[in-house]
Amino acid sequence: MNFREILKVTTFADRILFSVLTLLSLLCLIFIRSLIPASDSVEIAVDGKLEYVLSLTEEKTVAVQGLHGTTFVEIRDHRVRVTESPCQNKLCIQQGWVVHGIIACLPNKVVITIGKTGEKGSAPDAVTE
Amino acid sequence: MAKPERKVQHLMQSPNKYQIALLSAYALALHGFESLFPSPVPWLRLGLANIVTLITLLLYGLRAAVTVTLIRVILASLLNGTFPGPAFLLSFGGSITSTLAMGFFASATPRLFSATGLSIVGAFFHNGTQLILAYFLFIQQIEAVLLISPFIIFLGTLTGTINGIVCEIIIKNLKKSWKKIQNVDT
Repeated sequence: MNFREILKVTTFADRILFSVLTLLSLLCLIFIRSLIPASDSVEIAVDGKLEYVLSLTEEKTVAVQGLHGTTFVEIRDHRVRVTESPCQNKLCIQQGWVVHGIIACLPNKVVITIGKTGEKGSAPDAVTE
Repeated sequence: MAKPERKVQHLMQSPNKYQIALLSAYALALHGFESLFPSPVPWLRLGLANIVTLITLLLYGLRAAVTVTLIRVILASLLNGTFPGPAFLLSFGGSITSTLAMGFFASATPRLFSATGLSIVGAFFHNGTQLILAYFLFIQQIEAVLLISPFIIFLGTLTGTINGIVCEIIIKNLKKSWKKIQNVDT
């Protein structure tokens, strides 16, 4: 069976279905990234005040001055992590790479929000030490 | 007004259990064979087993196709060791939905689609069901599912087309050999 014979066997609806699905999926493949609201902002707040607004596409390390010292925040490969922190339990460092969500270093009062979580008010507001 | 003839012409009427067993074995073999191929996404497969499902559907009807699919999916997951797990649910949901969808289109609009079109429909419903199931079972992040679905639907359409053409060729050859047998008999 050569190509022409195969084409003859397929019906008109076959070809329409194939073209529509292929075109639609290819178009979506190209445009879906722009359809979904980009959530690549990294916001770093110290003691409730917004200090830095960065982008996940950047590759850099920021030294954030917290209450007790300097917290180092690293952004690389669309991920964020805390590399160094003066706090005791180092939970923020143990959290590792975060793509979406919140890294909070409560003792140092540094809160890193990655991506728009849509519920800004839910950031930890009762801080215990 | 005369009622339009809606009955689907199956090539052979009711399959016996040996034919069902043979078809299931073919499907199972293809299912196992294709899992040897590496795939970029865990639940993305070539859907070679769908060739057997589609042939069964066109030759023996929906009941036989569903039976063969059920046997294939359950046995394959038992052999893989994924039986009641999420991978089984994905495979099960996708296969059954696609078989039912192909059966629906084959009987509701018998002249509209050839085997190729039916195969594309099957692939589309298979992938669609799996994406929805994956969203509810694993991912729970609509962005991730939306990002990946065009890619999967596109690849599914391509593999569905290829499978459909293979199916077309097999059915054509089967018809030829049946004619030969009948000529010898009479």
